[in-house]
Parts: sequence; structure tokens; C-alpha cells
Amino acid sequence: MRINAHDPERQELVSRRTLLFGGGVTALFVGIGGRLYQLQVHDYEKYQRLAQENQFNRRILTPLRGEILDRFGNVLASNRKNFRVLFIPEQSNDVEAALDDIEKIIPFGGDKRARILREIRRRGAFTPVEIKDNLSWDDFSKVNFKLPHLAGVLPDVGETRDYPRGAASAFVIGYVGAVTERDLGAERSDEDRLLLRQPGFKVGRDGLERTYEKELRGEAGDVNVKVNAHGRVIEELTDEARPATQGQTLTLTIDAELQQKAMEVLSVPGDRMPDEPQSAAAVVMDVVTGDILVLASTPAFNPNDFNVGIDPQVWRDLNKSPYKPLLNKPVTGVYAPGSTLKMIASIAALENGFTPNVTSYCNGRMYHGKRYFHCWKRGGHGRLDMKGAIKNSCNIYFYEIAKKVDIDDIADVARRFGLGQVYELGISGQQRGVIPDRAWKQAYFAGSPENQIWFPGETLSCIVGQGYVTATPLQLCVMAARLATGKAVRPRLVRAVGDLVTPAPEAPAIDVDPRHLEIVRAGMDAVVNQGGTAARSRLPDPEWRMAGKTGTSQVYQITAEDRAKGLGKPEDLPWGRRDHALFVSFMPFENPRYACSVVVEHGIGGSRAAGPKAREIMKAVAEKNPAAMMPIDPRTFVRTARAGGGGS
Amino acid sequence: MASSLILPGRQRAMRDRLVRLHWPLIILLSMIAGAGVVTLFSVAEGSWRPWALQHALRYAVSLCLLVGMGLVAIRYWMALAYPIYAVALLALIAVPFVGEINMGARRWIEYGGLQFQPSEAMKIGLVMALARYYHGLRAEQVSHFLYLIAPALMIGAPVGLVFIQPDLGTGILLGATGVIIVFAAGLSWRIGFIGAAGAVLAGYAAYRFELLKPYQVERILTFMNPDRDPLGQGYHLLQSKIALGSGGVVGKGYMLGTQSQLKFLPEMQTDFIFTIFGEEFGFVGASGLLLLYLAVILTGLSIANASRNHFARLTSIGVVATFSLYVLINTGMVMGLAPVVGVPLPLVSYGGTVMLTIMAGFGLVMSAHIHRDTDPLRSHELL
Repeated sequence: MRINAHDPERQELVSRRTLLFGGGVTALFVGIGGRLYQLQVHDYEKYQRLAQENQFNRRILTPLRGEILDRFGNVLASNRKNFRVLFIPEQSNDVEAALDDIEKIIPFGGDKRARILREIRRRGAFTPVEIKDNLSWDDFSKVNFKLPHLAGVLPDVGETRDYPRGAASAFVIGYVGAVTERDLGAERSDEDRLLLRQPGFKVGRDGLERTYEKELRGEAGDVNVKVNAHGRVIEELTDEARPATQGQTLTLTIDAELQQKAMEVLSVPGDRMPDEPQSAAAVVMDVVTGDILVLASTPAFNPNDFNVGIDPQVWRDLNKSPYKPLLNKPVTGVYAPGSTLKMIASIAALENGFTPNVTSYCNGRMYHGKRYFHCWKRGGHGRLDMKGAIKNSCNIYFYEIAKKVDIDDIADVARRFGLGQVYELGISGQQRGVIPDRAWKQAYFAGSPENQIWFPGETLSCIVGQGYVTATPLQLCVMAARLATGKAVRPRLVRAVGDLVTPAPEAPAIDVDPRHLEIVRAGMDAVVNQGGTAARSRLPDPEWRMAGKTGTSQVYQITAEDRAKGLGKPEDLPWGRRDHALFVSFMPFENPRYACSVVVEHGIGGSRAAGPKAREIMKAVAEKNPAAMMPIDPRTFVRTARAGGGGS
Repeated sequence: MASSLILPGRQRAMRDRLVRLHWPLIILLSMIAGAGVVTLFSVAEGSWRPWALQHALRYAVSLCLLVGMGLVAIRYWMALAYPIYAVALLALIAVPFVGEINMGARRWIEYGGLQFQPSEAMKIGLVMALARYYHGLRAEQVSHFLYLIAPALMIGAPVGLVFIQPDLGTGILLGATGVIIVFAAGLSWRIGFIGAAGAVLAGYAAYRFELLKPYQVERILTFMNPDRDPLGQGYHLLQSKIALGSGGVVGKGYMLGTQSQLKFLPEMQTDFIFTIFGEEFGFVGASGLLLLYLAVILTGLSIANASRNHFARLTSIGVVATFSLYVLINTGMVMGLAPVVGVPLPLVSYGGTVMLTIMAGFGLVMSAHIHRDTDPLRSHELL
């Protein structure tokens, strides 16, 4: 092939094309340069801001929850270190595989896995999710050791609630639990919602923890942290940090030591039913200040189980138990007060023209309104005056009163002495109980007018604390305190919030004739100290003479059929059908300082089951005499705020 | 001109040839490579290892290669054009059978401990072969249908082989370089438009019939709408723009680029190195670097234009085209103007093969410059 390499036409053409190419490339470079100008000069501020956001994360500093102390500064609720493992989904390519890897080191179970995955979906890929908390130091170290191979895993030392007294303080304090959507919805500010979204953050679920949530929670702080693309913190900018403020300390009126003692006493099984757990309540009050020293309920749960995420089986057991371990019996349990109401009945009688010397003959039963009303003592007490009737808890004597005293008058006295009302303690679920009168019955039977009339026979039931009458152990303790002092003593549970002492509630004198009080007090003294129904509950120290009153309230009427089957004795009945045992008391008799009420569910008899427990508790109270001791000054323990360890 | 005093065809003394080296081109290339060393030092957080020192050494070796190749007379390169192309093509064909799999693609051939990437050799081979082909054609033949079959096959075969590796970036680069050479050789615009229309149709067909790997489609779609997946492909692009944009006019200062130092950017030492340079040296530095590249390109084109040898001219244009495409695709990519296809920034990005290819290409350009007065007839007779 002949080729003319000196092809001028070809030369010319290529030169033109080269020029064109050069021009095109230059134009494209100008375009690239323009884009560079746009990014670096024109939009500089926008990207500068984005770069800042890339680099700096605002990290919430979780505040420490305020402590809860008893009257002498013993810790009832505080915080302890919580080693836990968090997981940031966006830092892992494969969440399932990552969870598998973690599972190999710290098994957390299939249920938990489903919960974690749900949590991840709900919160989004950016928020750390708690995989497991309350790890042992060994497990925590293992995770840290393997950390380079675990993408997205963040070991963290948080704080968790600790209840050193466990079950003993469960009902007073309540417990904390994980944040729910409802909690988030209830928060007003974004700031609070952000705090609640912190992994592992807990809020008060019950008791004082819930009531004083705002005070106990404290204030979140924050710190800006410099992070790299993997979310790893490079630097904390502590200069600009705003430390978290610990929640306020709550000081209670409770005496933790006596509370513990009361729990032990209540838990001792009854003499004739050693196999039955004691489902019981006890309240001890300082009658001068109204301070609640003991608020005990058995069986109880361990509040520490709740803040670490309660085991489902434990939860089911707690709910299924007939002894109702989740029920705060002193304030939410309502019981027919039985004979403990006889002091109220006596005062009502005295105010309605009865004299203490009026006697009545008890032959064991009384016919009224086409049926027999029985005294608890078969064969009767014989002739008794008012003091004797209280001492021996004779029903017939009070049936006679019931025939002449109106139910409205009895109800009026009962209310003056603190029954049928709730008190501001900061504990939810308080029951009002029922102090029936005509108005009450009318309202109660609004749907059935034929039942709205008060029948005289009903007064007979009510006067011995049966029928419609119900009261909580707390109310019975207040009643005992008011009988002891003649003052409208009001109970108090929280002594101080932070350094702010809540003033002792006013206790004005009750509108009652002091002579009438003398009479019922003498009766109560006789119950314990003069061979009455609670003679065996007498305290040994004469300086601490305890006066009291037993009560036995019927839960189930033993029928002729039962007797025929040989079930005549209460011990033969199933637990749930046995009578409740009650006891109210105060001491010392001459110059009262403490009042106490004890209820033993299905304990069969007040003198047998409740009285001895009250004796043991009051004996411990007498030995310690906490009212004579100086409670702590809330101003001395106001802690300096410190930044919390939690957050991420 | 001093050079015109030397008679054509006479063996030039080695000293003369060294004098005739295009020193401005060498200085420009060295400045760019220097920028690479400086940036790699910063990426390694102020350390010569693992990249900066290696980069400098490779450049030194590559520069020797460039000078060496430049000293070889253009006629020898002309003679080697087809053989080089043939070897590269055979190697490309062999890759699917003996190649090493790296990051999901078969691109490498390993022989006796040496790694060899046939697609890189093809970048030189294709340029040379096309130039050699058009060297033998008259102007009127260039746009003749019959004479288009051979270049179409010469371009199509390697491009197809590279696409199936799969290596989208190199495929585009090879194809575009080939087309540029064909145009530079004088293809009529009419045929050009028909070809362009065909390419668009082929591209659509490739997408329609799923000839592209899913990740390739993904990259193109993400390029079209970067907000599609802020943590995937678009995330890298966004981070890249943030790094560049936050650099501002004068930059954050050397080794003070927060975004790159905090590892927000992927593959900083390779494909995204321009963003670090831009973040630390700002608009002033980045546009300066772009000007250096433009200067190299225009220098290369002027060398092409000054040569009297048709093969040398087209080879130079091809090399410059490849180089330009590298720069434009890479910078366009990190600024969101082109899809993220994995094309490095020549002489700045860390990576030995690409540097070798580019410097070898400029070795040919250098040869074209040194032997610009070589009698084309005589060289033709040599073959």
C-alpha cells in the first residue's frame, strides 16, 4: 500500500481537531473549577456547618437520681454502678450477625433478642440500644477484650437504682422501671424527652419513686463531644460542658430499722398455721408528729427485681399469689375493722346519753329483727359495764347501744377519729374504706331504691365493725393515735424534699369530751393490762404500758352445714375463708407517743394473731424510742451536683 | 530553531536527546506527583508510611521509565504498536481464566510474584494501535465506512472485555480514549453523530437487559439522586462535598482537614484524595492543582501538534486524552458531577499501576517531542 505520509490535508485536519480537543478539555476544566468555586466559596458556610455537625455530637449527661433516706439518714434507695453493653445499629452492617457475636460472649436469650430488635426498629439506627445491663465485672471485661471484633458495640458504665433494704422498703418507696411511650408522651419539653430516651433510663413506676419523680430525677447536663465517622468519641469538650444535677434527696419519716423489725415480726407464721405465709400489714406512728415510723406489708416483692427488668416468671408468680405480694396492704388493703371499732361505738354512745356505768347482760346471743346476733363468747360474758365491754369485746353490749344510737352519729365519730378518709402520703392507691351512714347507703344503692333505706339491723352489724364498714390499717393506726391524744393527728411519710422540710401537719383538738376519751382509753388499757382479750400482749416494761384493742372480722359465716362436716373450727376452713385478725394500740398509756395497728389477713383471731405481733413491734419501738432521737437535718446532706456517668 | 539544524534521519547523540527532553512537562508532572506525596503524608496523619514514601519512590522509578521511553526513537514505538496491543488483548482474554479476584472483580494476572493488570497495559496499547492504524490512512479514507470496521473492533474488543471483569471506570476510559483518537484522526461529524446515537442506545440496552452489575447501576442511580441513601454511596459523595466545601477559600491548613482526619471519607488515599487536598488547601490550592493538570494537558497537545509524525501526534493526543479523562472523571466524581466509578486522580492518588501507565504514556509523548522532526517517510520505509 502506497501511503503519502506527507499528507498536508491530513496534517491540517488533525491540527484542527487537536485544537478543538484542547478547547473542549479547557472548557471542561473551567466547569470543574466552577463547581469547585461553588462548593468551596459560594456554599462554604453550608458545608462548614455540616462539617461541624459531622464532628460534634451533643451528648446528654444523665443525672443521678436523688437518694431516699429514712429519718436517721439510712439509705433506702440510691444508685450503683451498672455495667452494661449498648449497641449502635448504624455502626454494624449486619445487626443479626452482630447480635450473634455478642450472644457468644454474654448470652441474653431469644426473648430479649426480639425485644432488642423491636427497640432498634422503634428508635432508629442512630440511638444506642441496651443489649444487657447489670453485667458482672468478668462479663464486662470479656466484652471489652473482644471489642475490636464487635462492630457497633459500646460498653458503658451507667447508674442503676439500688434498694439496699430490698423488700423491707418496697411498698414505701415503690420502684423504677423502663420508660414507655406513655411516659414520653407525658413529658412537656423536648429536653426531657431526650433524657428519657437515653438507654437504660428509668422512671418511677410506683410509690414515692413515682410521686416524687420530678424531684428525684434531677436535671440533665450535656457535653459536646468530637466524634469520628464511627461515632467513637475523640475528645470531650469539657470546657463547655453543663454538668448534670443530681435529683433531690427525699427524707422519710420511716425508721428503717424498725421497719425491718416489723417485716420480720409480720413474717413469723401463726402458732397454729405454721405452713401459711403471713399476709399482714403493720403501721406505727408517732402520735405527736404524725410521723409514720413503720409501714410494713408482707409478703413483699424485691424492688431491685424491677429496675433490672423483672423476670417474667417472677412477675407471674407475684401476680398469681393469693397473698398479694404486690399489694401495699397498709394503705390499699381494706378490712372490716371488727371490734377495733368499739371505741368509736362507745364514744358515740356516750355522746348520745349513755353513761359508762350502764350495764348490759350478755348471755351469748341476742334476738333482733327476726334473727339472732351472737357474741363471740359462747354462753356470754354476763353483766358488763362499758369498760368491761371493751375489755372483753362483748358484742351484746354494743348491740344494745346500736338499738338506741343512730348510724349517722356513729359514722360522725368514726370520721372525727380518722376513718373513711385518705391522707396525703405520696403513695398512690390509697383506699378510703367505707364508713356507712344513711347518705352513703342512698348514694351506694342509687340504682335500687328498695335498698336505699337504712335498716336498724345493719347498725348492729356496723357497730361491731362488720357489714359495710371497712378501713385500712393506716386509718386504724390514725384512729388509735387520735384516741390516744384527742387530737386530729395526721400521718406524714416524707419529712423533707431536698433541704426543704415539710412542716408537721397540724393536729387540732378533736371535738370530743375528754371524759369520754378517758373511758375508752381505760377500756383499752384493761384489754391489755387487766386480763382483757389481749392480756398476753402486755409489754414487760411498766414504763411502756401499752393499751390496745383486738378485732376479729368475719370473712365467711360458718354454716350449720360446715359444722355437720366437722368444719366447726376456723382452722378447718381454707385460708381464704378464715377471719381477719386485727389489733390497734398506743403507748405509753399515761403519755402516749406511739400508735400501732396490725392486720393479719385470715389470722383467725385478733388476740391470737394480731396482738402478739403488735406487742413485738411495739416492744422494739419502746426499746429504741426513736421519737427521742434526733432525726437528721436535711440541710446537712445537700450534695453538690455531679455529672452523671450514663449517656452515650 | 536549534533542532532544525540537525539533519533528519541521522542518529542523534544521546546528549542531544537529553537536551531535547521537554523539561517543563517533567517539572509539571513532578509538581503534581509532589502534591500527591504531600497529601498522602497528611492522610497518614503526618507519616511517610504507608503511602507517601512509597508514592515518591514509585514516581522516581516511573520518571526514569518516562525519560527512558522518551529517548527511544518514535519509529521503534511505531513498530511495537500492534504487538503491544496484541499482547494486552491476549492478557485481557486470559484474565477471566487465570486472574486474581480482588474486591469482586477479576482484573489482575499474577506471574512469578509480579502483578500485572492487562487493562492498564491496554490503555497504552489501544492508543498506540489506533495511532498506528490511522498513520497508514489518507485523510479521505478516515471517514470511509470500510476503514471504520477495524478501529471499531480495536476499541470494542478491549472495552467489552474490561466491562465483563467488571470494571466500569476503565471501560469508559478506554472507550472514550479510543473515540477521541478516532475523532482526532479526522472522522467526519456526520458519522460521529450516528455513532453517538448508537452509543446511547447501547447504554440503554445495557441497563434494560441488566448487563451491568447491580452495584454499577446503583452508583449511576445514586449519582443522579444523591439523597437516595445517605449512608451508602450517596453518603460518601455527601461527605466528600462536605470536606471540600468546608475547606473554603484558603483551606483548613496542612494536616488540619477535620473531615478527612476523622475518617469521614472513604478510600482517602486513592479515589477521594482530591477532597483532602481541597479541604486542607482550599479553593486556592485545589484550583491550582487543576491548573497544573490543565497545563500538562495543553503541553501534551502542543507537543502533538508540533510533531511531524502522524503516529506520534495521534499517540500523544491519545495519552493526553486518557490523562484528561482521569482528571475530569475523578474530580467530577468527588464533586458530584460524575458517578462514583472508581477512577483515581493520576499521579496524586496512591497506586502504582496507574502511575506507571500514565508515566509510560507520557514517555511516548516525550519520545514524540524529542523526535518531532523525524522524517515520516523514512520512518515509514523502516517498516
